[in-house]
Amino acid sequence: MPLRFFAAFLVWLTFAASAAAAPSALDQALKAGAVPSAAGPQRTERIEAELVPMSAWAAPGSTAIVAIRQKIKPGWHTYWRNQGDSGGPTTLTWSLPAGVSPGDILWPLPERQRLQSLMNYGYSDTVFLPVPIEVTASARPGETLPLRVTAHFYVCSDEMCVPEDLDLALNLPVRDGAAPLDPRFGQLVQDVVAIAPRPAGIEARAVFADGALTLTATGGPLANAAPKWAYFFPFEGGVIDHAAVQTGERGPQGLTLNLAPGRGLSANGLKPPLTGVLSTDLGAWEISADQGAPLLGATGQGALGDGDEARASSAGSTAPADFAKAALFALLGGLILNLMPCVFPILAMKAAALSRSAHHPAEARRDGLAFLAGVLATFLLLAGALLALRAGGQALGWGFQLQSPGVVAALSLLMLAVALNLSGVFHIGSGLQGAGHGPLSRLPGAAGAFFTGVLAVVVAAPCTAPFMAFALGAALLMPWPMALAVFLMLGLGLALPYVLISLSPRLLARLPRPGAWMETLRNLLAFPMYGAALWLAWVYGRQTADALALLFGAGLMLALALWLYGRSQAASATRRLAGIAAALSMIAALGLGVLAAGAGPASSEAAASASAHLPSQPWSEAAVQAALAEGRPVLVNFTADWCVTCKINEGAALSSPRTAEAMQAANAVYLIGDWTRRDDAITAELQRHGRSGVPLYLLYQPGQAAPRILPQLLTEGTVVGALKDAAR
Amino acid sequence: MFRLLTVASASLLLLAACEQPSAAAPDKAAPAATETATPAIAGPGDMAPAFTLVDAEGVQRSLADFKGKTVVLEWTNEGCPFVKKHYSGAMQALQREAVADGVVWLTIISSAPGTQGFVEGEEATAWKAKHQAAFTHLLLDPTGEVGKRYDAKTTPDMRIIDPEGRLIFVGGIDDKPTNKVEDLQGAENFVRAALADAKAGRPVQTAFAQPYGCAIKYPETVES
Repeated sequence: MPLRFFAAFLVWLTFAASAAAAPSALDQALKAGAVPSAAGPQRTERIEAELVPMSAWAAPGSTAIVAIRQKIKPGWHTYWRNQGDSGGPTTLTWSLPAGVSPGDILWPLPERQRLQSLMNYGYSDTVFLPVPIEVTASARPGETLPLRVTAHFYVCSDEMCVPEDLDLALNLPVRDGAAPLDPRFGQLVQDVVAIAPRPAGIEARAVFADGALTLTATGGPLANAAPKWAYFFPFEGGVIDHAAVQTGERGPQGLTLNLAPGRGLSANGLKPPLTGVLSTDLGAWEISADQGAPLLGATGQGALGDGDEARASSAGSTAPADFAKAALFALLGGLILNLMPCVFPILAMKAAALSRSAHHPAEARRDGLAFLAGVLATFLLLAGALLALRAGGQALGWGFQLQSPGVVAALSLLMLAVALNLSGVFHIGSGLQGAGHGPLSRLPGAAGAFFTGVLAVVVAAPCTAPFMAFALGAALLMPWPMALAVFLMLGLGLALPYVLISLSPRLLARLPRPGAWMETLRNLLAFPMYGAALWLAWVYGRQTADALALLFGAGLMLALALWLYGRSQAASATRRLAGIAAALSMIAALGLGVLAAGAGPASSEAAASASAHLPSQPWSEAAVQAALAEGRPVLVNFTADWCVTCKINEGAALSSPRTAEAMQAANAVYLIGDWTRRDDAITAELQRHGRSGVPLYLLYQPGQAAPRILPQLLTEGTVVGALKDAAR
Repeated sequence: MFRLLTVASASLLLLAACEQPSAAAPDKAAPAATETATPAIAGPGDMAPAFTLVDAEGVQRSLADFKGKTVVLEWTNEGCPFVKKHYSGAMQALQREAVADGVVWLTIISSAPGTQGFVEGEEATAWKAKHQAAFTHLLLDPTGEVGKRYDAKTTPDMRIIDPEGRLIFVGGIDDKPTNKVEDLQGAENFVRAALADAKAGRPVQTAFAQPYGCAIKYPETVES
């Protein structure tokens, strides 16, 4: 989850920086004017299809991912690679410029579409079919690759089938450097790629005897997992009876599925390997079952459903129970937020301020309700903006505002200002009479309380983002009125303790009398705020390249300005001079702050280094030979900073604990060939393996001359499986 | 403060743990629509189920009438793009060849009334001429009973029955599961091959091929 968040964050950041600089392919196509087969969506009565890029551009010598986006009319379907009992798979006929070659469709998990006694495997509503496209290293930055494809869809309803041919086009710009995700559908395509079923190191066996086909699968993600249901989608038709119920059993190492043999199997026997996708509630993976006796550890822990009904219900609307649960958790989450270091000082001060008005219950009540209104209004605003952006097709999560370095910089400075205020460097307002007052209780009455609420949510955001993103994910999948309600519950939770105290005279009376202790507490509470400011500065440092000094400069100037301002509050004699100096420093602080906010994003290298990586050494032919001579397997990763596919692989498959374990178990050496800058040795090595670009993954095994080439889209399972093989 | 932080982070962890999506998947296996799982349906080598249907002219035709002859069953639906591909001439040519060899060719429409492919009355009588077909009889199966007895799933879907009444071929007509006429070129037509095998007295080399095409519009299609 942190990784995912981090990736999304990275992506947003790069997108934000480049949105202005890099016109999307669509824009370019539009500017280019009359292109014979125009980019953009093509439509028939039943389906809309469009060729869309995952990344805003392709780097020379890289594998770009494009996708066929389909928007299918309700009641109609298109099909998976094995269509099941009727219909037919979507096929693509490419026409690409020289040096650009298409890979196979990366099929997302299909739906099971039951039609009476038939079972079809297909898609409805919106679906993306991603296709990796290899772009030659000789592609020149600045040129545009015209990608053309004729997509042949079988679009079928229960009543009829209509074949549709659509000519789709995409003009993919070639540029150097890390390509950000395409703002329109990039995130969605990346999500599809990330979860598309792929091999995961699952071992599988199939046996066909006495008219029964038994499939066992163990290891990989199935070991020690307890799936609730499992269903096998075969790649070939006729092997199983698609429409039959699949019954299964769970075991400690994996699972067993009893499949009704299809006509082809009965007529021709089992021709191994039996390949397909094993789908469970825990995930879906590609498996290849050799013929053989059932694997051990795949039975004995209870029956498995085939999840057919689960599909039907999960596709439906949000159950009231789910909504109630999400709302309850949001309320709890809001309560917990009160204890977060960013929020606590402000609220604690507010509570202290309350204790002063303890003997004016009416005033306290008004302040409490105004505070609640401020919190709710801010949550509503943030959540509304988030939902609107999502509805516009952007893949954002809660805390999205923090994905912009500018916002982070501003928040960091705000935290610093609040901390300085708590330290007593300056006071809000004109005099000293409010020495015991909180920074924000000085604004008159209800308005002050309202803005305290706003500020509480704004400063709570840095704390919400990392923790609540997960919990609020559920809300984002709900219809918008429900989602907004969940966000409001979060706000209610945040405001609740304060509101309760302010509404209850009895509780108010129990608050300690104001006194000198409040000043001490205030000064103490400044330190979490300094901490929050430092943390945000650190985040900002990760987000940007070399702009941290600007932020520090702005912070220094801000501190100076506030100190001068504080002096002017204290001594009226020097007030004018200090006031001018304060204003000047403030201007400097603002200037630096603006510069800092506008600083460019960090290169992906700097950012990627934040995630845990396997210990590695730079690649050289000599290093490979040396390791092999020691009898150790060698995993070589040819990568480049601007290669998005490489980064996805490195972020997931190559940095997981299981991969690290497998590396250690195999005593393997991990070598990285960095092709970010021109390197003739690497270029030659790539060519030797028939590649013109990165990524390229090679696994050398001692005693074998030729390395094994791993797929360009890696999964943990592929890497772990390959390492296991190499260690044998 | 530290204690508070500890409490806060512990509570958050707890919250996160509770919030794990509990992928609500009922373990109940769907009891419905299991009829196809029963192995009672005849495959290659089994005796072909008997049937009687009314043809386009209103005459009753039984499988038993054709005992001693090789019989081809062809499920069709004139609105189906996969059928249209074969009716671009290839299917008619195959019908002509087979009938000339003494084979009885029965084309069956199992579409329910009101669904794609269903015909009755004059439309049924005119079907053969309209499509320049060369089959022996056009049989109407509006209840879908015969189609289901043979487990016909798609159009086209083919069966060949030998003179003894045994199924010698079941399934798809060729190995190019598309609706494109150009794919007829170079496709291996399993029905033509099986008829040739049968004529020469050889065992049929490909006795089953995965059928492809449009789902047969059985009556339930309308109800659901």
